[in-house]
Amino acid sequence: MNYENLYSSLSLIQPEITISVFLLLIVVADLIFDKNKALIPFLALAGLIIASVQVILQVTNTGYAFPFSDVYLSRKGMVTVDAFGAFFKLIIIISSFILVYFSYVSDEIKKSEKNLGEYYALIFGMILGMFFLSSASDLILIYVALELLSLSSYVLAGFSKLRTRNSEASLKYLIYGATSSGLMLFGISIFYGLSGTTNLYEINTFLASHQINHLTLSFASILIFAGIGYKISSVPFHFWTPDVYEGAPISITAYLSVASKAAGFALLVRFIKSAFVTSDDSLGYWEILSVFDWHSLLILVSILTMTLGNLTALWQNNIKRMLAYSSIAHAGYMLLGVAVLSNQGLVAVLIYFFFYLFMNLGAFFIVMLIANKTGSEEIDDYNGLGYTSPFLGVALTLFMVALIGLPPTAGFIGKLYLFIALVDAQMITVAIIALLNTVIALYYYIRVLKHMFLTKSTVETQTVSVIRPNIIFIIFMLAPVLIFGVYFGPVVDFAKRCVQILGL
Amino acid sequence: MLTEFGKIFIFILLAVVFVPLIVYVAKFIRPARPTKEKLKIYECGENPEGSPWIKFNIRFYVIALIFLIFDVEVVLLFPWALTYQDFGFYGFMVGIIFLLILGLGMAYEWRKGDLEWERPKPIPPILDDEPPAENEELKEESLTI
Amino acid sequence: MQVELTHFLVVSTLLFSMGVFAIVTRKNAILVLMGIELMLNAANINFVAFSKFGGFGLSGQVIALFVIILAAAEAAIALAIVLNIYKTFSNVNVDEINNLKE
Repeated sequence: MNYENLYSSLSLIQPEITISVFLLLIVVADLIFDKNKALIPFLALAGLIIASVQVILQVTNTGYAFPFSDVYLSRKGMVTVDAFGAFFKLIIIISSFILVYFSYVSDEIKKSEKNLGEYYALIFGMILGMFFLSSASDLILIYVALELLSLSSYVLAGFSKLRTRNSEASLKYLIYGATSSGLMLFGISIFYGLSGTTNLYEINTFLASHQINHLTLSFASILIFAGIGYKISSVPFHFWTPDVYEGAPISITAYLSVASKAAGFALLVRFIKSAFVTSDDSLGYWEILSVFDWHSLLILVSILTMTLGNLTALWQNNIKRMLAYSSIAHAGYMLLGVAVLSNQGLVAVLIYFFFYLFMNLGAFFIVMLIANKTGSEEIDDYNGLGYTSPFLGVALTLFMVALIGLPPTAGFIGKLYLFIALVDAQMITVAIIALLNTVIALYYYIRVLKHMFLTKSTVETQTVSVIRPNIIFIIFMLAPVLIFGVYFGPVVDFAKRCVQILGL
Repeated sequence: MLTEFGKIFIFILLAVVFVPLIVYVAKFIRPARPTKEKLKIYECGENPEGSPWIKFNIRFYVIALIFLIFDVEVVLLFPWALTYQDFGFYGFMVGIIFLLILGLGMAYEWRKGDLEWERPKPIPPILDDEPPAENEELKEESLTI
Repeated sequence: MQVELTHFLVVSTLLFSMGVFAIVTRKNAILVLMGIELMLNAANINFVAFSKFGGFGLSGQVIALFVIILAAAEAAIALAIVLNIYKTFSNVNVDEINNLKE
C-alpha cells in the first residue's frame, strides 16, 4: 500500500473532509445543546467558510485522488479534482451560504426550530453528496453520491410538516427519485458488464479500442441519463419538479433549484466528456466517440424541456409552481449549451449557471418574504403589492427581468453567450427555437409584474415591511445581477479558465 | 486423547445437563408472582393468539427501521475485518472512524428518545380556541404514540 | 445443464421488468417501493454475475455490497416518509395523494 498516494488523495478532497467533519459536529452540537439551537447556524457557517477557502484553492491545485493503480494499471482515480469541478463546488457553496440566511429568515423553518440540528445536518449531507457528484469519475462513487444527495433531500422536502403538502412533496420526490436512481444503477451494471470497469476513463479507453454492441450501450447510456435527467429535472423526468417545489419549504425549494441542479450538470458534463470524448479539436469542439449519439439526444431533450417548461408555466397561479416550471425551462437552455459539445458551449453553461444562481435565489427570497407576511404564494394575492411595498416590488421586477434574459441584467449576458455558442456551432434552427421560447417566457414573468403594479386589488393589500438585514441581503443579491449585466468580463474569464476538465 | 467428535459430544452433554439445571436453580431463586400476561407465551408484547390482521403499535416500525439500518451497515465491516491487517495502522483507523460514526448515530437515536418505549401522553386537540390552520399541527401531535 | 452468464442476465432482466411494472401499475406506495427494491436487486445480480463470469476481479461484488447498504438506507427513509404520509392522509395510495395537482 502506497501511503504517499493516500496522503495526496486525502489532501485533494479537503473540502469534502471539512464538510463531513462539520456534519458530525452539527449532530454532536445538536445532541449536547438540546435546548438552545441558536449555535447551529453559526457552526454551519464556519464549516462553509473553511470549505469555500479549500474549494478556491482547488481551482489551481488539481489532480486525481484514489487511483487503484494495482488493479488496472491506470493512473486516473475515482475522484478528479479540477477547475471545472471547483467552479460547480463554488456555485454550491455560494448557494449554501445564501441558504443559511434563507433558513434564518424563513418562518417555515423557524416554526420547526427544535429540529434545526437535523435540518443543517441533512443540508451538509446534501452538500457532501453534491461535492462528490461534481468531481467523481467513477460510476459507483457517482451512484453513492447521488443517493447521499437524494436521501437527504427527500427528508428535507418534507421537513416542516406544518401542512399536508410537505409530506406529499416528500413522497413524490422519493418515488420519482428512487425510480430514476434504480434505472441509473441498472445502466451502470450494464456498463460494468460491457467494459469490466466503472472508472469513466477506463470506459473511455475501452470504448475507443473495442467493438461493442451499440444497441446495448445506447440502452445503458439512456438509463444513466435518466438518473442525471431527474436531478436536473429535464423532460421526461421532470414530473416531480412542480409538486416538490410547491410543497417543500421555500428555502429548500430554492436550494434544489440551484445547487442540486448544478451538481447534476457537473455530473452530466463530466460523464460525457470523460467517458465518450477522445480529444478537443483546435476550435474547442469535442471529438466524441461514435458509439452513442449524445448530440441528438441532448438537443431533443433540451428542446422538449424548455418548450414544455415554458408552455406549462403560462397557466400557473402559484408563484412557486411557476418558478418550478421556469427552472425546468432554464435547465433546457443550459442543456442546449451542453449539447453543443464544445468548450465554447461549456463556457456558456458555466456563465449562465453563475448568473442563474443569483437571479433565481433572489426571486425565491422575495417570494419567501411575502409568504412570511401574507401566508400566500398565489399570484393573484400579489395585486397592488408594487405600491404597498415598492422595494420588494422593484427588486422582484429586476429578478424577473433577469430571468427573462433582457438587458441590462446578467440574465441577458448568460443567454447571449449561449446563443453565440449555438450559432457558432451552426445550430441555427435550435437557436431560433430557443429564442421563441424566450419570448414565451416573457409572458408569464411579466404577468407577475402586471399583478404587482397594474391590477387593482379587490381586498386591501397587506404592506410587507422589510427589516434592514433583509434589505441589505436583497441588495447583495441584486448587485451581481445588475453589475455583471454591464461588466461581465471577469466572470467570462473565470469561466474560460474553469472549463478545463482533467483526463484527456 | 479425545477425537474431534468426542469434544463435540462433551459439549452436547454439557448443554443437556446445563439447561435443566439452570431452569431448576432459577425456580428456587426467583420471586413467583404470576399474572395473566406473564403466563402467556412470549410474543414480543403482542397477543399470541387471534387474528394476525390487527393494528399493532407504531413503535415497532421505528425499532425495525433502526435495526434495519444498523444491521446492514455492519455488512461493510466484514470485508474490512478480513483485510485490515494488510493496510496496517491506516486500515485499522478507517474501521475505527466508521464505527465512531455508527456510534454517533446510535447516540443520536438514544438521546432523541427513539429507543424509549414509553413516550409522553398525547395532547388531545383543543378545537374551541384555536384557528383551523393550527389544528393540523395539533392533530399530528396527538397521533404520535 | 451448465448455469452461464445468460441465465443470470435473464433472471436480472425479468426482475428489472417486474420492478418497473410494479412501479407503473401499483397504487399502494409500499408496493411501489417494493418495485424499486426489485430494480436495485436486478442490478445487483448483474454486478455479481458479470464479476464472476467476466473475470473482472472482485469489484462487482464490492459494488453489490454498497448497493445493498444504499438500498437499506433508502428503504428506511422511504418507510419513514410513507409512515408520515399515513399519519397525514390516512392512506398510502399514490394516486389519492394529489393535493398539489392543479
